[in-house]
Amino acid sequence: MEFAIISTLNGVTYGLLLFMVSAGLTLIFGMMGVLNFAHASFYMLGAYVAYAISPIIGFWAALVIAPLFVGLVGMGVERYLLPRVHKHGHAHELLLTFGLALIIEELIKLFFGDFPVNYQMPAELRFSAFTIFGTDYPFYRLFIGGVAVVMFTTLWLLLTRTRTGIVVRAAERLPHMAEALGHNIPLVFMFVFGTGAALAGLAGAVAGAFYPTNPNMGIELGVIVFVVVVVGGLGSLKGSLLASLLIGLFSSFAVGLDWSLASLLSLVGLGD
Amino acid sequence: MMSFRSVLLLATLLALLLAVPPLLDLAWQNALVNVLIASLFALAFNLLVGQAGLLSFGHAAYFGVGAFAALHLMIAIEDGLAFPTPLVPLAGAVVGLVVGLVAGFFATKRSGVYFALVTLAIAELIHALAPRLEGLFGGESGIGSMRMPFAGIVFGSTIEVYYLTLGWVLFCGLGLYLYTLTPFGRLTLALRDNEQRVRFLGYDAHSSKVIVFAISGMVSGVAGSLLAISNETANYSLFATDVSAQVVLQTFVGGSTVFFGPVIGAAIFALFSFLVSDLTRSWVFYQGLIFVLVMLYAPTGIGGAIQHHIRHRRQLDWPALAAPYAAMLFGGLLVAAGIVFATEMVAVMFGEDYARTREAAGGALIPFELFGATWSPTGPSTYLIPLVLLGAGIAILVKVRRRIDAVWAARGEQGSKTQTLATTGGIQ
Amino acid sequence: MSADTRVRPALKLSGVTKSFGPIEVLKHLDLEIASGERHAVIGPNGAGKSTLFNLISGIFAPSSGEISLNGRSIGGMAPEQINRAGLARSFQITNIFHRLSVFENLRIGVLARFGVRYGLFRPISGMRRINEETEKVLAQVGLESRGHDLAGDLTYSEQRALEIGMTLTTGADVILLDEPTAGMSREETAEAVELIRAVTVGKTLLMVEHDMSVVFSLCDRVSVLVYGSILATDTPQGVSANHAVQEAYLGQEAA
Repeated sequence: MEFAIISTLNGVTYGLLLFMVSAGLTLIFGMMGVLNFAHASFYMLGAYVAYAISPIIGFWAALVIAPLFVGLVGMGVERYLLPRVHKHGHAHELLLTFGLALIIEELIKLFFGDFPVNYQMPAELRFSAFTIFGTDYPFYRLFIGGVAVVMFTTLWLLLTRTRTGIVVRAAERLPHMAEALGHNIPLVFMFVFGTGAALAGLAGAVAGAFYPTNPNMGIELGVIVFVVVVVGGLGSLKGSLLASLLIGLFSSFAVGLDWSLASLLSLVGLGD
Repeated sequence: MMSFRSVLLLATLLALLLAVPPLLDLAWQNALVNVLIASLFALAFNLLVGQAGLLSFGHAAYFGVGAFAALHLMIAIEDGLAFPTPLVPLAGAVVGLVVGLVAGFFATKRSGVYFALVTLAIAELIHALAPRLEGLFGGESGIGSMRMPFAGIVFGSTIEVYYLTLGWVLFCGLGLYLYTLTPFGRLTLALRDNEQRVRFLGYDAHSSKVIVFAISGMVSGVAGSLLAISNETANYSLFATDVSAQVVLQTFVGGSTVFFGPVIGAAIFALFSFLVSDLTRSWVFYQGLIFVLVMLYAPTGIGGAIQHHIRHRRQLDWPALAAPYAAMLFGGLLVAAGIVFATEMVAVMFGEDYARTREAAGGALIPFELFGATWSPTGPSTYLIPLVLLGAGIAILVKVRRRIDAVWAARGEQGSKTQTLATTGGIQ
Repeated sequence: MSADTRVRPALKLSGVTKSFGPIEVLKHLDLEIASGERHAVIGPNGAGKSTLFNLISGIFAPSSGEISLNGRSIGGMAPEQINRAGLARSFQITNIFHRLSVFENLRIGVLARFGVRYGLFRPISGMRRINEETEKVLAQVGLESRGHDLAGDLTYSEQRALEIGMTLTTGADVILLDEPTAGMSREETAEAVELIRAVTVGKTLLMVEHDMSVVFSLCDRVSVLVYGSILATDTPQGVSANHAVQEAYLGQEAA
């Protein structure tokens, strides 16, 4: 029972974190057909930027500035780099973002070294939310989930209740029609790309203070996020929310039970 | 079809590959073995990417299983199996083919970015499983074996390994080239262009794609087993994402629309990593930068650019191009120098060594050594030099590009059409 | 039935229904195309002509009913199987291999006809019969001088001719052409009609066509498809004299 409750809590918060990253990826894919290989790098960039600036401006300010910075980087990529390869097809866009992911990872190694950095949550957040079955449950996990929920509520309200949101949704369904109706679709695309990147950056800034912050965090999360968006059906926000929670729960139970594909394989005699 | 001139070129290259290596030292011989292996891997990869239009992000899987298959066979030979050592890559071929058939069956059910993701997932799965499967992949440390003598050849020296590798690479490379001349080779190109139409002409598109995938896996497996023969060891890191990434970088920088393009990319990257990996820790960064620049400004890669020039050699005003091209080279060198300077400076100033010396000096921004000179972190010249190099280089490139475009535009109308077609080549 | 009943029909649809969700696009459709006949399907936009072609050629499977080709049931087969059973189709939107030469475009189909679909062990240049046959089709569609050019470089009407050529290459005896003259000028249309007439000699042709002059000059019989049902099947003259057809379809043009 204890295991089930803790694993469920861990799984849901991790799933919400995954969704913070996969939401941007799937929104961008749905609207523009661009599978952004560098999306998880934005997550890593968010963590490192927050780590670098939080000693100067403080943890809370860094939580705001880091996503903004990452969002600007994303807008720059959408505005200046992607259009150059667009005419060669989606595969070339994928290749370009793949190259960018490589560059971001190497830049981070260059500036911060090829080892984990000590990015910590502030002392005022380091307490246990409650004690369950004699175990202290860290408040920060709930904080990660809380930030995610607040973000999605805001995003959802923006998408459904504002004019811009309606244009974004129109542009997702029928970009040419929306453009013909006089909306500035390139600007909408740039904005969405930037928002998606900023969301990933925020996820990184928040999660980096809890999970290890190292130059591999991008590729490690990236693979999981790709699985999430494929399982969720590329381009579907609801699907990726469901898949994020599912995979979050799955991985937290799998870690807890030390269950793995390899041990399953060894059951059928493929292991050693 | 090959012209007489390209046959002559290839013959010269072959003669050099045969005659020169014995004169080189061990490190160079080893580097050339790696160049050959990378070239074959890139050719196998490009069969899928350039010809069938299927972008795989997980080709390390087939390269890796080839290496392990070869090592298992070598272990068996050590234990007394009568099998000729030069034919060990056959093990890689068979296993690469089988794994390619299975993986290809699933991956080719989708196309475009879905295909890319599925191949990535398959490679990641093997990468995650391999260290746990002790018997097959030897756990974290991997497995190793020795090359056994065969027919009087002991395979003890690097040059013997070199010639063995060269033989296999030429054999497989020729095979892949001949492949393009067969009916199935043409079908592969048709699949890239328009899969739907292929089906309406009576072909089973899915089976065809599985076969292409499996052949690519087979040759990748041969390349992997050549690496295993050369290194006499392998571990699960062969399945890592960066192995898959390397072949993507090499193939596209070399040019995926030209048959020999990937060889150019593989040779350049493999040689450079041999030459500079001791000098800099930022080699992967430079690779990524080169790749992105090629994607942005020359999407058909080096091979595509060369082919483009050869195709238009008669229409072009070469004397008019000479000066701008020289200026472009100069501008490019300035930009490269600026980037390298800035990067290496960052590498030093943010490095651990510098942090330690600073600590010893009480936190002061003390001068550092770079490129045989001493630079002060507070001196303006330290920052001005890379900035000026970059700025001047970019200015030259921008200016010279207009002139080059003008010369190109002055050539016949006919050329421009083939150019747009050539540059839209590649993947679906 | 005006068709000759002694001869087995080349293509026969009986009771074919196709629905997408709740929408019935084709309703219990019966159609018989005699062997050697040139048959047109006309009808207003949205009548289900494209769906009909997609069912026959294997893009969709019928929801119910039977489709048979030369007496053999093909309903629900994959496109490549239907092609091998002897039916080839062209597309309304040009559907060629843009980055291959014109010759290569045609040769892919010829290879399929000669059963060397997956040949891997012989160079293609040595296959004399296949190359001769490809040259023949190339000449048939009047593209001899363009054989070495990339298909993507052809003019629109040349691409349409290549499109027709590709349907011929696999040697199918039932040919489906989807609006072969769409988007052509008057002269180009006239040329295309002559081309179609020439290349379908001895074959069975089913075509979707909007241009009534093309239908009149080319086809033996016409079926009028309205709202997923066949309103009438008759000679072109008979159809244009049919009151129900005039009301439902031709009415707009006659007015």
